[in-house]
Amino acid sequence: MLKNNNTPPSSAIAENQPRGSVFRAWLKIHVENERYQPPRNGVILLQVLVGMLFFVLVTRLWYLQIHRGDEFARQAQGNRLRQERIFAPRGRILDNNDKVLADNRTAWGLSLVREDCRDIPATLTQISVWSSIPLSQIWEKYQQDRFKVKSFEPLLLLTDINFDLVARIESEIYAWPGLKIVVRTKRNYPEKDLFAHVLGYVAEVNEKEMAADETLAMGDLVGKQGLELELEKQLRGKKGLYDVEVDAHAHTLGKALREEPRSGNEMSLSINLALQRASWEAFGGEAGCAVVMEPDSGKLRAFVTSPAYDNNLFSAGISKRDWDALRTSNRFPLQNRVIQSVYPPGSVWKLLMTALFLERGISPRETVFCPGEVTLGNRVFRCWKHGGHGSVNMESAITNSCDVYFYLMAERLGIDKIEEFAKASGFGRPTGISLPHERSGLVPSREWKWRRFGKTWVRGETYNTSIGQGFTLVTPVQIAVYVSALLNGGDILKPQLLEDDGRVVTGRLPAKAETRNFIVGAMRKTASAGTAHVVYRKDADMGGKTGTAQVVKLKMGAGDRRLRTSEMEYAQRDHAWIATWGSKKGRTYVVVVMVEHGGGGSSVAGPIAKKIYDHIFGPAQDTPARGAQ
Amino acid sequence: MDKRLFSYINWGLLTFMLLLYLLGVGNLYSASGTRVGDGMAFSGFYQRQLIWGMCGLVCMIAAMSFDYRQLRNLAWPFFLVSILLLLLVPVAGKTIYGARRWIPLGFMSIQPSEIAKFAVLVLSARLLARDENPLGWKDFSTVLCVALVPCTLIILQPDLGTTLMLLLILGGMILFRGLRGYVLKTCLLTAPTVAAFMWFAGMHDYQRQRILTFLNPGHDPRGTGYHILQSRIAIGSGRLWGKGFTEGTQSQLRFLPERHSDFAVAVFGEEWGFVGCVTLVTLFCLFLLSIFSTAVQAKDRFGSLLVVGIFFYFFWQIFINIGMVIGLMPVVGIPLPFISYGGSATLLNFTLLGIVLNVSMRRFMFKG
Repeated sequence: MLKNNNTPPSSAIAENQPRGSVFRAWLKIHVENERYQPPRNGVILLQVLVGMLFFVLVTRLWYLQIHRGDEFARQAQGNRLRQERIFAPRGRILDNNDKVLADNRTAWGLSLVREDCRDIPATLTQISVWSSIPLSQIWEKYQQDRFKVKSFEPLLLLTDINFDLVARIESEIYAWPGLKIVVRTKRNYPEKDLFAHVLGYVAEVNEKEMAADETLAMGDLVGKQGLELELEKQLRGKKGLYDVEVDAHAHTLGKALREEPRSGNEMSLSINLALQRASWEAFGGEAGCAVVMEPDSGKLRAFVTSPAYDNNLFSAGISKRDWDALRTSNRFPLQNRVIQSVYPPGSVWKLLMTALFLERGISPRETVFCPGEVTLGNRVFRCWKHGGHGSVNMESAITNSCDVYFYLMAERLGIDKIEEFAKASGFGRPTGISLPHERSGLVPSREWKWRRFGKTWVRGETYNTSIGQGFTLVTPVQIAVYVSALLNGGDILKPQLLEDDGRVVTGRLPAKAETRNFIVGAMRKTASAGTAHVVYRKDADMGGKTGTAQVVKLKMGAGDRRLRTSEMEYAQRDHAWIATWGSKKGRTYVVVVMVEHGGGGSSVAGPIAKKIYDHIFGPAQDTPARGAQ
Repeated sequence: MDKRLFSYINWGLLTFMLLLYLLGVGNLYSASGTRVGDGMAFSGFYQRQLIWGMCGLVCMIAAMSFDYRQLRNLAWPFFLVSILLLLLVPVAGKTIYGARRWIPLGFMSIQPSEIAKFAVLVLSARLLARDENPLGWKDFSTVLCVALVPCTLIILQPDLGTTLMLLLILGGMILFRGLRGYVLKTCLLTAPTVAAFMWFAGMHDYQRQRILTFLNPGHDPRGTGYHILQSRIAIGSGRLWGKGFTEGTQSQLRFLPERHSDFAVAVFGEEWGFVGCVTLVTLFCLFLLSIFSTAVQAKDRFGSLLVVGIFFYFFWQIFINIGMVIGLMPVVGIPLPFISYGGSATLLNFTLLGIVLNVSMRRFMFKG
């Protein structure tokens, strides 16, 4: 096989001058004895290919590096530099005497960088030893969050660790690569449950909020409930900016300050911490709510709803266990009873009905005989007083809360007029308070009933409506606003929570001055000698009206007596209302108290209102009452 | 060895090749750097490339030390061994990234498709060297049929890049050799059909995806388009003079993927700019022309065709790799000779150039 067709050439061929290339002339080597001639076209092909290679590549390089070079240089710069925001402290929230209700404090946390951690199970066990939190709980947290952050980003395992523990961990942390103590700012609510429903809480921003606001970034705290949500714009500061040099994995290489952060505004509430606490304590754990409102300015001085929750739990990131406990509690601590719970107003509604009667020309002197019940068709409508009140006029009907008087007068006017008047007086719509999720309550009407049940309105329902039972639903704050309007000259005000907020009129009470004065006078009489006597005190001008709202209609035979509250199931007990006002030395307040399933208005809600007045006006003294209104 | 042989060595080729190799090592030094805080950390790619280069020089000298005409005699046995090895791959091969391409030998793995590439090159040179006339149907189809056996085995691994490389080298050699007019015309007509068939039947989804991404890189900037966009940014941001040695932000900050291997030239472009790139392309062209000159000066058809095959081996790699990095070609895993890191590729490059030098040395050895 060694012999092949390239047998040694015998003839010599002189100079094989390469074609036209300076380069090959330089490479040229003396040639002799050649017979093989490379194919002519092939030689040209190779040369053309090399030329083409050069031309195409250089043209493209010119296009990329010279023609579009500046553009790509900018893009490379954009790759390299990121902007990192600097946290701006959230504005504090104070009460009307500058007592702190919400502030920020430094919290230490322990985080783990997965990439740097050598033995994750052992590290988590060590964390459990340090913190005395069960290992299973730490594992749970780890599993829950591990995919939310990249492997080189810190994963927060412990949120709020105390200083002693920080010191201890700090001294041992060198043995645990991947662990890092992080400093975070945490929203702090020193008064916890007391202001939970007013302040709400902050929590980490979610994706939807981030999409709506480009200044927000992962890990920011934003208001989620209450005033923290409503006042988000004022409370949130403006972040500062760092220029950060990063690599493709977002590892930080260096940073420079570009813009200083600016902290959020400090907000002062109209609510008084001491009064709020006194009102809270007056409840003694009962479920219910209380509002203290200044009738002239519309400012709220106390806003209590019980039970509540510790809103600090949310700002630290609430655990599933705590959340479930709050959510499923049969006492509904997450419910803001002042504005989100609707109840039948009971006899408190008679304050509204009286105004309607007067405005519709019913004389206060006209009397009605109350035999204890009236019959309509085959139904019996009872007065709360089994034996009846006898002959009652308008004023005594209020002070003694005679139901029969209201049945008969309402019957005379009809549901349409009641509906119109109640709506014009601010019921059936939100008061406009600056808190989220306020409910409207319900003023029933023929049209509503048809829409809701597909049935026509019947007269018995007008009876029920007249004494605040049946379909009628109100929020406690609506009652406070109505009573305030009676006192302030007829302005329906927006209830204000901030000390600096002005007076905002949302409507006019459709009642003349005489009408209002009559009702105020009747309330005064109810306090001094009627069902609201519990709030009566000699050193102040007081007025009030109680209410007992039935939760379930108890079937009663003709001979049955009313059950006592203590004999009924908790959830079937009546709601207790009291709507009051008090005036001393030119300072007037409206106090509305509602106790869920409390039973009678005067016996349960009344003492709470009295304790609130004791705080506002000081303990009752035996000085004679002065007339105010 | 005859002292005269030494003086006939293609010194130009040797010079360009060593220049390119050193440029490659320098570039790898920069590409292995990663900024850490204020300093730099280097991984050992450039050191390993230096060691591979030393081994490559030994291979090169070995490839020069015998008469290349011996290869002609060994062409068939060599080819058969490579086919056997390829057949062994499905049985004994190990699977990496879903492709079965390697045969483990304990201390190292060999890639039979690389050996097949070389074997086909030698065998084609031998087959095409039969006579001087332009190829007719008979010769053309013989060469094609012989090449299709390893091609089929390789494409089943699957390894589209190597298969295409093989066909392109073969195509180059055939075109150099010259075809009869009617053969050429028929081929030009059937090529689109074959291409369409490949697209629909012969390609994997990821391969089709790469071609689609190449046509519109902005479509998927985080996924398959990422390589193309980042390498274009790297090259383009070099502008006229470049950012300076080890100053490229795209590579030092790890935005650039595969910066040691397939995209190494992007690092070079970023740091040396247009001036550096044109210099590099010029060097590559001079390098190719040196191989070309040996092909032209060879004394026998076999040697000439062997060198032409090697010419195309380098030509296509340079064209496809640089084309890919600057966005003229789809992303295929083809390294740039001497610039990209790679142990076996370096050994093969040096060995093939040893053969070119072998041919250039022995062009006056045809005395009786």
